[in-house]
Amino acid sequence: MVLNIIYFYILFFAICSSALGVILAPRMYMAVLSLFLLVCFTSLMYFSLNAIYLSVFQFILCGLILSAYIFLLLKKIGRINLGLKLAPASKIIMSSVFIILLATLSIMYFYQEFDNSLYAFFNTSVENSFDSVNFKNYLYPLSLIGIFVFVSATVLRAFLDSTLNKQPQKNEDKE
Amino acid sequence: MIDIIFNIGLIHYLFLSLFLFMTGLIGVLISRNMLRAVMSLFIMTISVVLNFVAFGYYCDGTMEKVNMLSIFILILAVIQTVIALVILYKIYQANEYLDTEKIKDKEN
Repeated sequence: MVLNIIYFYILFFAICSSALGVILAPRMYMAVLSLFLLVCFTSLMYFSLNAIYLSVFQFILCGLILSAYIFLLLKKIGRINLGLKLAPASKIIMSSVFIILLATLSIMYFYQEFDNSLYAFFNTSVENSFDSVNFKNYLYPLSLIGIFVFVSATVLRAFLDSTLNKQPQKNEDKE
Repeated sequence: MIDIIFNIGLIHYLFLSLFLFMTGLIGVLISRNMLRAVMSLFIMTISVVLNFVAFGYYCDGTMEKVNMLSIFILILAVIQTVIALVILYKIYQANEYLDTEKIKDKEN
């Protein structure tokens, strides 16, 4: 019991610090490393919540593949050691105050509207939750998502190629 | 107060999720580099998945549905991030930098 509490709080602070590391890192490679650590720590947290498949899936897809992809992209464009700058201090303070206010308001809203309990909000989703689920049932929508993504990526690429090729022509015309 | 600290429940995970979401949102607002803004967006998605898993664990109990739906959310998040990275790469090829202020100056 005590070990569970310690385990939770260690993960809690590790996740919080790595998330802050992403947004406050002075160098780009540090931000990517923080993102990788964040993915690893959240995977461990899912593992402690019995979501074992999700934890392994997230570690492989986000931790190993996505982080490596970002890292390779940065290496390709030669910006791995790029110094990162933040917005002006006034903007940081204003946005932090605004977001904290938003969070406080949303917490108060939930607290008052749903009978002082977040469970009440999700009662409807708990009622029919005892039927069995097979992964096969989800393969069809998964393939649809894959096709949509492929089509949208192709259209987007064609669109970007055409707009980027038009820009230099315009500049040449001006000259 | 001590009771809240030592009895780990749904509210702790919700607080962590809220913190992650706020961090991601602040990251999107304050970062000048677009790549870091994309990473902040990914943090926000991770917070949503964490929220979902915590509710599944404490309200549902059976984690099968939660696993399936969270994997879907995660796949969509990764696809969104990869598409954003491809767009950023194209922007970099056109402008040679990813700083929002510089791109704004260039447009003006």
